[in-house]
Amino acid sequence: MPDGPLIVQSDKSLLLEVGHPQADAARRAIAPFAELERAPEHMHTYRLTPLGLWNARAAGHDAEQVVNVLLDYSRYTVPHALLVDVAETMSRYGRLQLAQHPVHGLVLQATDRAVLAEVMKSRRTAGLLGDRVDDDTVVVHPSERGHLKQVLLKLGWPAEDLAGYVDGEKHAIDLSPTDPSKGGTPWEMRPYQQHAVDGFWHGGSGVVVLPCGAGKTIVGAGAMARSGTTTLILVTNTVSARQWRDELLRRTTLTDDEIGEYSGARKDVRPVTIATYQVLTTKRKGVYTHLELLDARDWGLVVYDEVHLLPAPIFRMTADLQARRRLGLTATLVREDGREDEVFSLIGPKRYDAPWKDIEAQGYIAPADCVEVRLTLPERDRMLYATAEPEDKYRLAACAPGKNRIVEQLVARHEGDPTLVIGQYLDQLEELGEHIGAPVITGATTVKERQRLFDAFRTGEITKLVVSKVANFSIDLPEASVAIQVSGSFGSRQEEAQRLGRVMRPKADGRTAHFYAVVSRDTVDQDFAAHRQRFLAEQGYAYRIIDAEDLDQATEDHVD
Amino acid sequence: MRMATFSDWVRARSDEQLVALLDHRPDLASPSPATLLSLAARATSRASLHRAASTLDAAHLVVLESVAVLGGAGTTVTADRLVEATAPDDPAPGHAADVLAVLADLESLALVWSPDGTALRVAPGVDEIQDAYPAGLGPPDRSPERPATAPQEDGPVDADDVEDVLGALDDAPPGARSILAALMWGPPVGRVPSTAGSPTAVPTRWLVRHGLVRHADAQHILLPRHVGLALRGGRTHRGLPRPPEPPAEQRARPTVDAEAVRSAQEVVRFVTEVLLDWQEVPPHALKAGGLGVRELRRLAQRLETDQTTTAFVVELAAMAGLVADDGDDPASYSPTLDADDWLEADVAQRWAALASAWLPSARAPWLVGSRDDKGVLRNALDPELHRSWAPRLRGEVLGVLRSAPLAPLSAHDVLAVLRWRTPRSVPPVETLAAILHEAHLLGLTGAGALAPTGDVLADVPAQTVPDAGAVTALGERLDALLPEAVDDLLLQGDLTGVVPGRPSPTLEALVAESADVESRGAALTVRFSPASVTRALDAGRTGEELLAELAAHSPTPVPQPLEYLVRDAARRHGQVRVGAAASYVRVEDPALLAGIVDDPRLHALGMFRVAPTVLVAAAPIGQVLAALRERGVAPAMEGPDGQIVHADRRTPRVRVTGRRARRLVHAARPVAAVPPEVRRERLAGLVADLRRSTPPDRPVPDPGAEDVGGTPDQGTAADRSTGPRAGRSGDHVGAHGAGTTEPVVALGMLREAAADGREVWLEMVGAHGVPQRRRVRPLRVDAGRLRAVDVARESELTVAVHRIVAVEHIAPEGPAAPPEVSGSVPPADPPHDPKEPPHA
Repeated sequence: MPDGPLIVQSDKSLLLEVGHPQADAARRAIAPFAELERAPEHMHTYRLTPLGLWNARAAGHDAEQVVNVLLDYSRYTVPHALLVDVAETMSRYGRLQLAQHPVHGLVLQATDRAVLAEVMKSRRTAGLLGDRVDDDTVVVHPSERGHLKQVLLKLGWPAEDLAGYVDGEKHAIDLSPTDPSKGGTPWEMRPYQQHAVDGFWHGGSGVVVLPCGAGKTIVGAGAMARSGTTTLILVTNTVSARQWRDELLRRTTLTDDEIGEYSGARKDVRPVTIATYQVLTTKRKGVYTHLELLDARDWGLVVYDEVHLLPAPIFRMTADLQARRRLGLTATLVREDGREDEVFSLIGPKRYDAPWKDIEAQGYIAPADCVEVRLTLPERDRMLYATAEPEDKYRLAACAPGKNRIVEQLVARHEGDPTLVIGQYLDQLEELGEHIGAPVITGATTVKERQRLFDAFRTGEITKLVVSKVANFSIDLPEASVAIQVSGSFGSRQEEAQRLGRVMRPKADGRTAHFYAVVSRDTVDQDFAAHRQRFLAEQGYAYRIIDAEDLDQATEDHVD
Repeated sequence: MRMATFSDWVRARSDEQLVALLDHRPDLASPSPATLLSLAARATSRASLHRAASTLDAAHLVVLESVAVLGGAGTTVTADRLVEATAPDDPAPGHAADVLAVLADLESLALVWSPDGTALRVAPGVDEIQDAYPAGLGPPDRSPERPATAPQEDGPVDADDVEDVLGALDDAPPGARSILAALMWGPPVGRVPSTAGSPTAVPTRWLVRHGLVRHADAQHILLPRHVGLALRGGRTHRGLPRPPEPPAEQRARPTVDAEAVRSAQEVVRFVTEVLLDWQEVPPHALKAGGLGVRELRRLAQRLETDQTTTAFVVELAAMAGLVADDGDDPASYSPTLDADDWLEADVAQRWAALASAWLPSARAPWLVGSRDDKGVLRNALDPELHRSWAPRLRGEVLGVLRSAPLAPLSAHDVLAVLRWRTPRSVPPVETLAAILHEAHLLGLTGAGALAPTGDVLADVPAQTVPDAGAVTALGERLDALLPEAVDDLLLQGDLTGVVPGRPSPTLEALVAESADVESRGAALTVRFSPASVTRALDAGRTGEELLAELAAHSPTPVPQPLEYLVRDAARRHGQVRVGAAASYVRVEDPALLAGIVDDPRLHALGMFRVAPTVLVAAAPIGQVLAALRERGVAPAMEGPDGQIVHADRRTPRVRVTGRRARRLVHAARPVAAVPPEVRRERLAGLVADLRRSTPPDRPVPDPGAEDVGGTPDQGTAADRSTGPRAGRSGDHVGAHGAGTTEPVVALGMLREAAADGREVWLEMVGAHGVPQRRRVRPLRVDAGRLRAVDVARESELTVAVHRIVAVEHIAPEGPAAPPEVSGSVPPADPPHDPKEPPHA
């Protein structure tokens, strides 16, 4: 097709022209195997990676389909080497399979003897494989199932796990037909949530990628209902654990007695247990003291919230949980530590993915207006900054006193709207809190106090909150429609995704969310901001840069 | 009448035939031979025969081998017999015609000749360039050294008896047949069973006793030639080899074109980058010549490719004469004057210049990174890094690719074809892979198959530099393949831009200057950053101009973040200013300074104010001091580090001059193409000269013998060194009227005599420097030595050829040698000792 919407580059990136009449069809066709890298206004960039191609293989797509899609939608001749590489890479998945043998138990089967010979010869598989059953089959020590999968992926021969799962202890869980928090109005899963649950269940284990605010908890609940077994849910922190609990009570037939919390504060093991990563990774005298939780019950399902934050010890523990169904939930598969391959081999391939913009277009998350406000530092501060030690520069720039005035202006502009001010440095936050007369939540705030403030914020009792990075993950502030970021942790894209997520929850009245970042001009603050904005733009959110001096008139047009 | 000699046959060739011979074997015509006799002699020299054989394909070699086996050494063979001897198991109808055509070729090459017009034999010396066991057959049994006058008991059976003995094989112990079958198609040597109890010991003994095999030495048995032939049913080969089939896999034409274009654009970009890089900082050449490993690695990083490719790109730039050693001490590599023209040309012409320089170049870039015999690493641009056969091989590879249109050929596929085309000179597969890779990098192939661009290059005559027309044709062909240029730049909010196709030259220049490339291929993705925008501002644009240019190429408005970025960069650009001045003047009192700057007498100093109390001057410090003193102020000189030197970052260009530089361009400059008609005309003139200088009947001593000394034969120089004596002997032999002093002719006569088993008079200088005249029967002329049998003394002698003064035919008063001896030559490489007692 000479006029296709897709341009296939030799470096394995795919450029999709959004305005093309066939763009939507092409997007749907390439979504199973290409990772969306960035989605600015005209040309979206996807990338072909081995993991992406294997994800597609795991989802039942073969190389021929992939090649045909590329050929069908490509505007120019597709590089030959790339097609060969796609076919070659995809053919590597599934040559080795983990399966249950009626006599020998867990075995590694090969459809290609040479590959089996190659991996058996590798030093990395030493101790993971047992005796050879026949030419194509070798016994695997059941305890090494996860470790072996990791090793095979590193060797470039990812194994297909067909060994199945233990059924787990039965425990009936159903989705409740009505939503008690909305006066018992009936509700059901959104179509994409249902697709995500189906995709996961069909694949056995794996990861569901949904944007913040798209209702990942509900996907978790749906999976639990489908499984109908005891479930272990691993979350990032205690606040998040409480929110899971509330959401499960609201969305399912589970009662308070059936849900246990396993955290620093409480150690209940119930049919559905929510544990924090932190408690699991606590070490005492060099031993993980809470490992027994993993075997406390015959879990039928393990849910990992925020997979992209999964700490390394959890990976190691997960390696031993390979016989149980695993569901990973995340907003992005991008890990800043580059351990995407471990997520793939230990939790499973990606089972469902929906781009933010699509879900936004369906009205499930709020549209956002992103603005960067640039503040020119006064002469004195600039001199101070210019002569500061490199390690102090960011702090100096991020905490520029001029920011207070701008935040004040912005807050005033959105008076009455639920507004979050997010920052990194505690003294700056304290000062800001005083300045705009809002309570401050930091790591030092007790869980009880946090809950109280969040509840008050939710009910509209207070409309302004100043939060530190503790609020980055898994707090649910449904009606926050304005976020003002004054400092961040060195331009982390992931953090930006989370913060943006704070205001992305759909608003009852469909209002536009506002996301402001206040930065100091000509400093490292600006450089970090550029990095974070890149993420916004790549996600398809247009953003504007305005000078602090022009703030009054610039925001005038956009505030409705 | 004695049998016609090879020289007689050469003399009897028609003019057209001689022109064809000289055309196909150019080494015979250069330098021009003086007479037809010396032409005949030269045609039988070992070097020339090797050269001729190396151009033969497998089928020709098989037929030649067959003639050598059946029609060597004084015997002849008919064409019909050769057709039979080379027939496959189920002969195809065209077989006879094929063999006859091949024979005609061989005859026109003077490798096969016919003493009487019908029967055929090989030219003298062809036997010597055959393998040890030609056609896998053992040596003929009766050698001249040991005439089989009295066959011993258990000795070899006569040729006539072979049939009978083979008939008796039914009675042979088991295993005898399989031993014969194993030796039948060669190699004809087997190991003698080490123990008597071995299952093959008995049949081996039986075979030896019946004369079907004989002992080569204590450990080996040998299948004699006539037995082998009998076993094969008189055949020498199982048919003529067929050319290998190209792989059935085919690439689509658009794929091949697109891939080739992609590579071509890439290689042009690479070379351009190298030139741009080196014009800023020319890298130093190593002492022994060549580019250091570190520089190569740095360059590879800049090009974002591997070092092998980088080495090729650098070599390619040198082949095209775009970079050269500037000849300074220490030397460094800089772009040449040609590079400026090249950089201005469009992609297609730039590429054509590279491709046409590559084909005839003797450089061997693939050796970069390997180690030589002494273990020294070979560097890119190393002056020693050339191989004289590289241009020929490049041409051959292109030819092979062309013979299989659209088929992706691996190095092994090419090797198979070359093995058929020129089995005598087959390059290593690694070299073929390297040349294929070069063709791929240059975009002569696409996805492994020959692209239209490569097709044009394959048209260039072998080992010649493509002329201007060919270069233009190359460029035009690429131009036709290039996708249409796109003038649109899609600007996006994340500060990236996408050119959805091949950028037009103006657009390419714009993005190259103002953005960083993120991804190349069918489209171009770029990212704008403060650094890249600043680069554009450095190049002389203002922020507004840049925005206007971007807007002109963008179908949508410039996104606000990008606009902000450009304005922001423009705002900061020039906040710090740097200028050049030769001296400065500082004055504490601004009023005094104002007086100085406005003084018309000081205008010549080029002073201007950079701050209220500081002036800079274009004049050097000495002049400023003198001028100010003259004006009456009392200036004081400040420390020596106030001087700013204006440094032009561009280094001066070098001219490609001198041998060293030329060697980089074409290490072995091939001859310019001569149209075939012109060449043949020249050869016809040569043949006419030869005819004139050669008397119809017998050779005369050639006064121009020295002129022919350039033939690559042994002993020539040595002969010349014994000049005076040679001259005297020449007179002496001249008196006899039949001898010759021309070394090449003498050797030719010896070879002819050896092939015919005739005797000659040999004038030679003995070990004590005394001239001798002996009647000998030459056996072999090889490696600068003559082996011959002295008939009178019944002894064998070996003479270094430079000691041979003259050779003379013996008057044909009768048969030159006993008939049973005449048909024999010594085995090419006798592995056996004829005196060894037969196996007990």
